[in-house]
This record gives sequence, structure tokens and C-alpha cells, in this order.
Amino acid sequence: MTSTTTLRIATLYRFCAQSLQYPDTNWLNADYLQGLYSLLESLGADDELEQVQTAFETDPDILETLQIEHTRLFINGVPHVVAPPYGSVYVDKSLQGLHTEKTLNFYAECGYSLKHGSDLPDHIIHQLEFLSLLAENNDAEHESEFLQTIFLPWFSKFGARVKQETHHPFYSVIVQLIDYLTKEEDEHGIQLDEA
Amino acid sequence: MAFNLTRRRFLQSASLAAASIPLSKVVSAETGFVQSPLEPKGSLKEETATGGICEMCFWRCQLIGKKRDGRLIKLEGNPKSIDNGTSICARGNAGIKLLYDPDRLKYPLKNVGERGKPVWKRISWEEALAECSSKLKGVVDKYGPQGIAVFPHGSTAKYPMHFFERTVGTHNVSEASFFQCRGIRDTAYWATIGKAPGENVDMPNSKAIMLLGSHIGENVHVSHVKSFIKGLQNGSKLIVVDPRYSAAAAKSDVWVKIKPGTDTAFLLAIMNYLVKTEKYNVDFIDEWADGFDEFAEGIADWTFERAAKECNIPVEQIKEVADILAENAPNVSIHPGRHVSWYGNDFQRQRSLACLTALLGAYYVEGGWVPGIKPKVGKVSWAKHDHGNEHNLNYNEDEELRHPFTPPGTPTELIRDAALTGKPYPIKGCVIWGQNPIQTIPGQEKMKDVLRQMDFVMCVDVMPTDATMWADILLPEASYLERFDLVKTGTQWDFSEKHQQYITARMPLVEPMFERKDNVFITNAIAKGMGHEEEIPVKTVEEMVEKNLAVAGLSIAQLKKEDGIHLRDGKDPYGIPEDFEVLLYNEDIEDAGFPGVPTYMPVEPPPAGFARLLYGRVPVHTFNRTQNNAWLNFAMPENPVWINDETANKLGLKDGDTVGLVNSEGFKSHTTTTVKVTPGIRKDSVYMAHGYGSANPLLSVAVNAGVDDTSLMTKIAIDPETGAHGMRNNFVKLIKDGKVLDIPA
Repeated sequence: MTSTTTLRIATLYRFCAQSLQYPDTNWLNADYLQGLYSLLESLGADDELEQVQTAFETDPDILETLQIEHTRLFINGVPHVVAPPYGSVYVDKSLQGLHTEKTLNFYAECGYSLKHGSDLPDHIIHQLEFLSLLAENNDAEHESEFLQTIFLPWFSKFGARVKQETHHPFYSVIVQLIDYLTKEEDEHGIQLDEA
Repeated sequence: MAFNLTRRRFLQSASLAAASIPLSKVVSAETGFVQSPLEPKGSLKEETATGGICEMCFWRCQLIGKKRDGRLIKLEGNPKSIDNGTSICARGNAGIKLLYDPDRLKYPLKNVGERGKPVWKRISWEEALAECSSKLKGVVDKYGPQGIAVFPHGSTAKYPMHFFERTVGTHNVSEASFFQCRGIRDTAYWATIGKAPGENVDMPNSKAIMLLGSHIGENVHVSHVKSFIKGLQNGSKLIVVDPRYSAAAAKSDVWVKIKPGTDTAFLLAIMNYLVKTEKYNVDFIDEWADGFDEFAEGIADWTFERAAKECNIPVEQIKEVADILAENAPNVSIHPGRHVSWYGNDFQRQRSLACLTALLGAYYVEGGWVPGIKPKVGKVSWAKHDHGNEHNLNYNEDEELRHPFTPPGTPTELIRDAALTGKPYPIKGCVIWGQNPIQTIPGQEKMKDVLRQMDFVMCVDVMPTDATMWADILLPEASYLERFDLVKTGTQWDFSEKHQQYITARMPLVEPMFERKDNVFITNAIAKGMGHEEEIPVKTVEEMVEKNLAVAGLSIAQLKKEDGIHLRDGKDPYGIPEDFEVLLYNEDIEDAGFPGVPTYMPVEPPPAGFARLLYGRVPVHTFNRTQNNAWLNFAMPENPVWINDETANKLGLKDGDTVGLVNSEGFKSHTTTTVKVTPGIRKDSVYMAHGYGSANPLLSVAVNAGVDDTSLMTKIAIDPETGAHGMRNNFVKLIKDGKVLDIPA
């Protein structure tokens, strides 16, 4: 795979990570929406595009709606938090379990550490950002290994919960995008150098 | 998703290029990562952190933490500790599961839904604090400072409690530790010996120990249990007075299976016997006690026979207990108790315990009640102001105290009644800090009504609780493993060993995750927003700890150098201080309209078909504070209801049966639990552990696990002298397979 392609894949990972940040006008703006719509269009996801577009265009306070939904899904919601965004919660049934340590180890082995004050190492945003860095570096071997051993084992459960229980098409679409971006390796193996 | 392209084809297609151009404009160049040297596998740094003080219960053992790359992986007792030593209990070990509980509060939240049925939205600290300040200031401006009620609990609640009490000026502060736990003990001893007794009994050096309704061994306060066991190993005789065969009763020489609510009658009969037979310590009473004649006369009618009938125990057993105490006096530990809010007649019982200790001459002697001599440290907090008593609910229209022997603060029930009636004034702002008043205070529906009528409710806690569902703003606090706060002092627990003192401060073993903040940060910001910036006593919690340590000539840096604990030579604690005085008869109490001599007040017996609901502790939980802890829940996931074996047989119940409960006022438990069939409980009572069955679904482990005994406490009983709640005055039947079972007489 060419370096241009891997850079584009890196952008996709980064876009997915961006989309799971707490909704804020700093990033949830017209440019972001144009990027999302364009991506869905490119993928031929017409129904999803329509659902997201309708949700954004008809809600007078879409920001607060998404903030409430983000809080409910990932932070604190009644009757329960739908999908804590930390791998260790699914693998170890705890925050900061062995999965977190494995994740941190993986980062260190690839020459990366987290900035002081960052969220926990196994947060989905960090894991997606890390995948983007590996893609930028054209490091297919580690990208594949990270997906298989660290990311996919818990993302499948996380993604299913979000897709099943979200009240908003935005988050349903985002987890499907992440699934789309990461799943094929699970089924067919990594073929980044097939050309 | 109906994507028309396979991933592989998409990544190879021009579509990717087309899509990624606009994407590249919106993704941030920043990530959470920095580049660092390549590390081989398994190179994470291991270290030991010192200076921890446990808060899984309130005994506060000293800890160290084993860490791997910042992640706490094990807690242990601090080897330098002369208190708990290297030992910590199951709850202490499970602190890691609290620290990393996925259900913990992480960010400030605003309820954009209904109070009690919240819809949460994460907000910034700036917004949260601004809202708390403006709403609370709004209440003060409209209703006066008395318009705010505060329900605090735990070490971190002291600083905010003092702010609202001393600086803002509300009297309406009610700590659960006083009004639902041990306040009665402290005030009864204050009225008898002029000081709060703590649990300062020299059990290791005693010849006899008497426990009345104690949970020792089930509350596992490590050094206290060690001292208890050492006393037994040294041959001390153990008397346990309890309707239930408790962990302590299992070690006893005499188990007095007393009828609930009659303990004072039992104590009066023993004291009367000691007086009548002159088996009391005449020299001690002559020198240190006042009011002996009034006392002797006041208890003169309490024969063994009368007490035996009242307490439903054998005459011979009361005499046996009295003789054991007399024969071993003065080296006798009469334990003042801990959770003593039982029947609404508790002040007189606690007075009786203090007077019995005096009759035995068991103050400041080996094996008796002996407060260790602790080092002095600072107590920095908000400056005290006199706010008068105009808005003190504990004063009636004639400016007389309703409950004259109340602990600090205001009796909870007076606050709740004022809030609900608006008389004598409205209470419209509420601060709940580290307390769960839904599962702490009897009358859950009343508490909910109190919260419903508020203009604003702010909660601060480490975990969601049943109370946090009622918050408008919910703030996440750093846990005891993530923050500085209290300075703890003490001595070695066995006074026969070298006299030593210790000073330690709680220091964080790990950094707080997410956006959790400490009590000083939160309180100061609210104080600033409410216009009290100039009165802020310390800028940070570290500064507070430094100032408190400085009084003892110490600093945080010095404590760190000394592995978290400073040790120094101690002083011999035995010997009665010159100003010590025991008031066997207290004229002030009589002047206030209550019995000046310890007096028995009967309580309502269970109605036909019902049993009294008793509750207590288990070794692996600290009431509702630990109910969501995964390890502790695994160890004890529910609170079986103890029922007498003969009673169970008549009802056709067997061990492990699933039952619900209904009380005499018709309130049914919303969950079920299992039955524990045992001869170790009276037939007129059932027993269960307190603090189960949370109704908050955000506690994914604890929700609906076991039965919430507080939900069955719908009868409000108030101790007249203190205003504290009696919490064992409710009567229940069991429900099995939908059928309500009458408890046979």
C-alpha cells in the first residue's frame, strides 16, 4: 500500500477518534459535518447520510442533544452507562486492568507515551489515535497486531452496545464507521502490501 | 450500515482520496501522544507509594500502595504503622476496586431532566462551580443562610461543612456520624465524664470486657480488633449483650440474649446490685464521682428479678455478669459502643454505660477506659463566627433547646420538618457531601420529599448513590487514594508496650483520574462565587495539611522521608487527671426535663405477627459505601435475613429461601434476599446487614442486590435528649412466593 493511502487511512482513524470527543463547537462545526457527509457519500451510505443530516438539520440545539447522548453513552446515564469507552472495562471488568497495562506497553514498545493529564491509555480515542500514528508511519505490522490483540477484542462489544442502545444516529454511524475501518482485517487478514 | 464498497476496495479507490480531503481539514493535528524511546516488553516502572490512609471504613488504617507505571496494583498496611501494622481488612484490600470502579463519578454533571429521574449532561468545572455558587447564593439572598441544609459525612466533608456552618452561617448541618450513628454516645459521656469516649478501652490489659450490641469482628477496625483479640488471648472474660449471636458473641464467656430495647434495664439492675452489695469501687466514687446518693436512690428499684422479666433473660445470668464485672474491677473494659442509634431511648443507655464504668472504678486504669495521649496537630479550617440562635431549629419559641444534649449540628429530623412545612422558615438549598441521606436516614420517602421541594441540590461524592440521583449538579470528588486531606494521630494500641505516638497525613498514592477534584478546591471555588473569597483559610488542600503538620514541627516532605508516618516517644496514659469528674446524677439533664439519673424507658414491643428489624455490619462491607465494590460484592452479594430456627421451622422456611419483607406500616421491600436460619437470633427479631439494595441503576454491581433495610424504616423515632434517630423501631413480616408470613409469638 502506498504511503499516500496509509496517510489517508490515518486520517480516517483520526476522524473517528475526533468524532468520539465530547461534543464541542471547537470541532463539531460546519467543516466537520461536511467531512462526515462527504465520507458517507463516498461510501454509498445513503440511508445513514440522510438520518444524520436530518438529525442535525432539524434539532434546534444539536450540540446539547449530542452532549446529553455522549454523557449517557460514555460517562453517566440512567439507567446505566451504555458503553464505557475503556477497553479494560470489557476485558477486565474494571478500569485500569491488565488490558490497560498491555495497551500502555504496546505504546511504549512502538516509541510512544501519553501526554501528562491524558485520559486512560485504553480510551478508544487514544487507541484510534495510536492506530492513526501507526498508519502514518506505514507500520502495518504493529497496526495489525494492535488491532488483533488490543483493539478488536473489546471494540466489538463496545460498538454493539452503542449501536444497539444509542438514541441518536450520529453515534450509531460513527461506531459503524470504526467497525468498517477495522473489521476487515479480522475477517481476511491484513493485506496492506497486497499491491 | 449499507456501505456499497468493501473496506478493501474503498481504501484502494479514488473515493478514499475524495473523502479524505475534507476530513483532513477537520481532524486535529494534536493527539494525546508524544514520542518516547522504544521500550522492550515488560519495562513498566514499579514503585511503592507511602502515606496512604484508608477510607473504606472510618477507622483509617495506614497504607502503602504497590504501583506499576502509575497503576495501583496492590494495597498493604504500612510496615511502619504502630496502629494496623501490615494488616488491612478485606475492604482495605478492595480499595483498588473502588479506585478503578467504572461506575465512579468522573466529570461534573448537570441534571437536565427531573430531580430523582436525572438526565445527565457533562459540563465543565467552571460552569458547574458557577452554577453551584449562583444557585446557593440565590438561596441565601432570598431565604437567608438558614435556607441551606448540609448533609456531610467523612473526612473530606469537614472543610465544606465548616464553610457553610461558620462562614455562610447556617445551623442546618447534619452529619450522619452524629445523628444516625455515634453522636448519642459522645453526648451521653460528655454529660457524665465531660468528654467523648471514642472507643478508648484498654482491652489488651483488661480482665473482663463487656460489649453491648457491638459489631466488633464484623466491622473489622483492624487495630481495635487486634486489641480485642489480644485481650481475649490474655485471658479476659468476655460478656456480650446482644439479641443476636454476633461474631463477638461467638468468642464470649457469657452471651446475654437480651430482648431488644431493654439494655438500660439490664445495666440498671447490675449497677443497683453493685451499689446494694457494696461491690462497687467505693474509693473511686468517693474521690471522683458526684451525685452518688441521687443515683443510688434513682436505680434502687431495679432488682435482678425485675430486669430479668423486662429483658427476658434469666436472673442468674444478670447476677453472673454483675459478679464477673465486680470480681475483675477495676480492670474492666465497658465498651462505649459505636453505632448506638437504636431505639430512641439511647442517651440513657449510654449514660448507664458511663456510670457503670465509674462504679467499677474503670477509668484511666489498666484494662479500663483509657484515652491514649496523642500528639497535637493543627486543625485549620474556616474561622468561627457567632451566628446567634435565631434560626437554630433546635431552639423553641421560648429559646429553650428542644434536644439539649444534641451533638454538633442540628438534628436531622428538625431540618427535614422545617423543609417540608416551611416553618419556621423555608429551606430551599441542599448540599450533600459524601453522605447518602436516602440510605442513611429513616423515612426515605420523607427525604425524597425534602429534596423535591428544594430550589437547588448539589451533591459531591466519589460514587453514584441513591442520593446523587436527586442532584441538580453532581460533582466528582477524588477518592481517598487520590488526594491529600486529614492528618491522623494516635498511639500504639496495646498500652503495655513501649509508649509511642504517631502522626501521619493522608497523601495520594495515585493521581486523580478524569476530572476529580478535592474538597478544598471545590469549596474555595464556591466560596469565591458566593462572595467569601477573603475568608478562604487555605488555597489548597496541601497547604492545609502543611499547616496542620507544622504545629507538630512536621511537613509533607518530612513525612515522605519517614515513609509516611512520624513516630515519637509517647506518654504513660494511666492515671486519672486532676480535673476528672463523673456525674452519676446530672442536675443539668434533670433541669432540662429529662432523668438526671440513668433511667429505663420502655419501647413499643412488636405487634402480633411481626418481628423487630435489627441491622448491623458485616466484615466485608461498610454499609452502603462499599456496596458496588466488585470484590466485596463477590464476597457477600446480598444481606441474608437472619431468622430464628424454630420460627423458620414453623413458617416452613429453610436456609437460602428467597424472601421479601413488609413492615407494620405496609411498606414492602422493592427487592428480595435470602433467609439465614439460625438459633443465633431471638424469636421476636430478625436481623440483616445494613446498606444493601441500592435503587440507583448507575451502581451496576449494587443495584437491587439484597434488601435496603433503610427503606423499611418508616417509623421515625427520636432520642429526646439528643434528637438523634432510633433506627430499630420497625417491625416486619417476611414475604415468600407472594404470601405474607406472620411471625409466630
